[in-house]
Amino acid sequence: MDEIMYLAPEIVLVATGLVVLMAGVFLSPRSKNVLGYLATLGILAALVLTVRSFGLLTMGEFSVGYSIFSETLSIDALSQFFKLVFLTVALIVSIASIKYTENSDHTEEFYTLVLFATFGMMIVSSANDLIVLFCAFELASLATYALAGYEKQNARSLEGAMKYFVIGSVSGALMLFGISFVYGATGTTSIPTIAANSALLTQNPIGLVAVVLLIAGFGFKMALVPFHMWAPDTYQGSPSVVSALLAAGSKKMGFVAAFRIFIVALAALQPDWQFAFTILAVVTMTFGNVVAVAQTSVKRMLAYSSLAQAGYIAMAFAVMTPVALTGGIMYALAHAFMKAGAFIAAAAVVWMVASERTGNLDIPDHLDSFRGLGKRMPLAALSMTIFVFALAGIPPTAGFMAKFVLFSSTIQAGMTWLAVIAILNSALSLFYYARLVKYMYFLPPEGKKVSIPFPYAAALLVAVAGVLAMGLWPEPFVELAMKAAMVLV
Amino acid sequence: MLPVASLLILVPLIFAVVTFFTKTKDQAAGLGFLGSLATLGLTLYAYLNFDSSTAAMQFYESVKWIPFLGVNYSVGIDGISMPLILLNAIVIPFMILFSWKEDREAPNRFYGLILTMQAAVIGVFVALDFVVFYIFWELTLVPLFFIVNIWGGEKRAHASYKFFIYTHVASLVMLLGIFGLFYASLNQTGVATFDIRELVTQFQFFESGLMKDGIFLAILFGFLAKLPTFPFHSWLPDAYSEAPTAGSVLFILLKIGGYGLFRISLPMLPNTGNPDLMIMMLGLLGSFSIVYGALLALRQKDLKRMIAYSSLSHMGYVILGSAGFVALSVSGAMFQQFSHGLIMSVLFMSAGAIQTSTGTRIINNLGGLAKKMPMLTVVMMVGFMASLGLPGLTGFVAEFLVLTFTFTNLPGFVLLALLAIVITAGYHLWAMQRAMFGVYNEKLGDVKDINSLQVFSMAVIALLVLYFGLNPSPVLDMMIKNSEAIVSLAAVLGV
Repeated sequence: MDEIMYLAPEIVLVATGLVVLMAGVFLSPRSKNVLGYLATLGILAALVLTVRSFGLLTMGEFSVGYSIFSETLSIDALSQFFKLVFLTVALIVSIASIKYTENSDHTEEFYTLVLFATFGMMIVSSANDLIVLFCAFELASLATYALAGYEKQNARSLEGAMKYFVIGSVSGALMLFGISFVYGATGTTSIPTIAANSALLTQNPIGLVAVVLLIAGFGFKMALVPFHMWAPDTYQGSPSVVSALLAAGSKKMGFVAAFRIFIVALAALQPDWQFAFTILAVVTMTFGNVVAVAQTSVKRMLAYSSLAQAGYIAMAFAVMTPVALTGGIMYALAHAFMKAGAFIAAAAVVWMVASERTGNLDIPDHLDSFRGLGKRMPLAALSMTIFVFALAGIPPTAGFMAKFVLFSSTIQAGMTWLAVIAILNSALSLFYYARLVKYMYFLPPEGKKVSIPFPYAAALLVAVAGVLAMGLWPEPFVELAMKAAMVLV
Repeated sequence: MLPVASLLILVPLIFAVVTFFTKTKDQAAGLGFLGSLATLGLTLYAYLNFDSSTAAMQFYESVKWIPFLGVNYSVGIDGISMPLILLNAIVIPFMILFSWKEDREAPNRFYGLILTMQAAVIGVFVALDFVVFYIFWELTLVPLFFIVNIWGGEKRAHASYKFFIYTHVASLVMLLGIFGLFYASLNQTGVATFDIRELVTQFQFFESGLMKDGIFLAILFGFLAKLPTFPFHSWLPDAYSEAPTAGSVLFILLKIGGYGLFRISLPMLPNTGNPDLMIMMLGLLGSFSIVYGALLALRQKDLKRMIAYSSLSHMGYVILGSAGFVALSVSGAMFQQFSHGLIMSVLFMSAGAIQTSTGTRIINNLGGLAKKMPMLTVVMMVGFMASLGLPGLTGFVAEFLVLTFTFTNLPGFVLLALLAIVITAGYHLWAMQRAMFGVYNEKLGDVKDINSLQVFSMAVIALLVLYFGLNPSPVLDMMIKNSEAIVSLAAVLGV
């Protein structure tokens, strides 16, 4: 009975999801707005519970971990840190969605899917067994497939969802295939047992095959080049709030799963996957930044910048020192705030274009819609500016602190060449981020001043608070990330 | 005693925030002026309580910030930073007075950004922790980018992006050097710290000469690109000339590259793997910049571009004096930074005034302006004479110190630099003669002289150029102790 208490945040989340789903049946369409507040409250409660459990876990110098349910789930600093990331993203998304789902007929399904997707991500971060990991991975994926295609009348949304679904299924199959090879070689799906019997994998070429398949499978979720094809279309086509969930939350699920599988389970094969991840990191960040420069759709630009950011985080696998892992984990949180916030700001602009019925209705997130945003929606423009400067790594923001720790680790490990590539990329990214700022502040507005809907404003403020808090007072975040990294080394 | 160092950052920053919310031009300029005046007051307070007879850090404050990484918020003022803070504090109020009457969009943002810039620049000067230093260093980019990009000339987009990305890359390379310094010291001592003076001291104990050179060059690159010097100067002419007058003056006051050179690079220099080579490199870059900048200035058609290139030439003296590496040549280099800030402010204000009055900056399209703009001509003349190094004005003091005391160590480079003196005199006088004297160009129509606020602000700075030219010791004394401290380290090591 005690064991189940460790899952209190997840239980609260699922219960909220079920209540929302049932309540939606009985509520009149008008009063369905209340569901959004309900879901937000549920997420908030789960967030508080996770923070509390984190406090219990990390008392004293070293983090403590618990294995529960016959060692299939582990509750440790790493899992709780990533749960924090997912719940923060879910919180921002659900607050903003109160406006987005205002006139929708399917409010209850939307929130239930968001809650279940978050639940899946949280279980992935705790998974200590490959089968549990796979099931939770699929739960989160299925929920997000549906969310991506939420706008049934919108061809772009459907196209994005379709691509996401097809490529996602194939990569899910690859992942399962990889898992089966690991199982075939070691005879177990338990991550600690695999790690203990690593000789079986290193002596057998099957181990290498498994690594290749697993990198392909997780690379899809992490959106590493060349497994990224779906990302730009899906991020652009999906409703912006869902893009925020995908880019800021679902992507981190790929990372936490990869942390557990590669660094813990397949530690013996480190030379093989470390080399692969080094190349993937460099290619991904460079490709993402170069292509982002040419984009005129802001959401698409954010999608490519998201690729680049994934490349930075993947540097943690390439460097593999405690500092690098701390930096990578910190970056995951920083990226959650920055990217979720940026997509919500885009959501506010899309809403503005749609409600005015002027401008580029086909691509409402076109750069032109951001003209003079500083005058039209000052709050959205200011927060977007903070987010893009944070993404570019300008102090004093979360992005700077995370990059500071991550990039410094490459120097410590003697991989100066990687630091140079990362830094050149950082500089390149500044070009397209600064261009967006230019559109918002320097070009004359093409419309009247619009008052931003309260839910968008609230979600933006939450994200801005996170970005600035991490930038100005990084100590607690660094400490938590370091404890999470200690689980891996 | 007041925590002056922190207040010097906070006061302009608070005024900046308030200025952003003003509605009219007069309110914005008024508040901006008030903010810069308050900063000037604080600076004078610091100056009067400053002890010039020591190289020690004064007004020191330190608070723990990120203990995990050994990052502290520590600030202080010494003889390297005090003159530069003084320079910023003196010029900015007059710069605001100068541009008060100009019409522009969104004056609240304009003056707000100017004050933000002032806070960031002073932040760099007082920071004693690498993280704090780097944060303010990067922060100086943002207001300048906006100032050029919003209120600049025709090619402002190109100029602002070039400046932003160019110097951002350089800062990132510098950041790599800082990381190297941090980790090398961490491995050496086991203590995580970002304290600038501590790390600079630790530098001499590092074992690998190659690593020392790498760290030194990476950090130096950041400073040289900001200064700027040949061959990292290509952002300078565009940015300086496309910026609005106040922006050009802000660029001139952005003395953080030279400051970093004195604060961080020079104390490290004697301990690098190959100090002689580094000195030769600096001497070569310095003297070449002097000549190259002067030659380029000679053939510019645009008055503002000419001044921009002359700035490149003058910055060469800062590097040459540093390479001289004796107390007085280093003091001369520091004094050059101070003097150059004052002189160039006058020159850019003159160029700005000419453009506003006549609508052009092309030297050949001007002519005989002295008849129509007598007031401007007088102050501009002081600026030009100081810039070409006329004795009695600040430019002479700085160049004299640099050339005389560098000669013992690097005679070849000094001789090369001496060549440029002729060219420098040439382009200044030639430009002055074509633009201001001779027959009045009737095509310009009826040109009005500058307004009284502009005369006043330019005259005050011009008088300071004269005053510190005749009596440099109030500023120079502060620098000498610190230059001695920098150089004495080298004397111990027998360089």
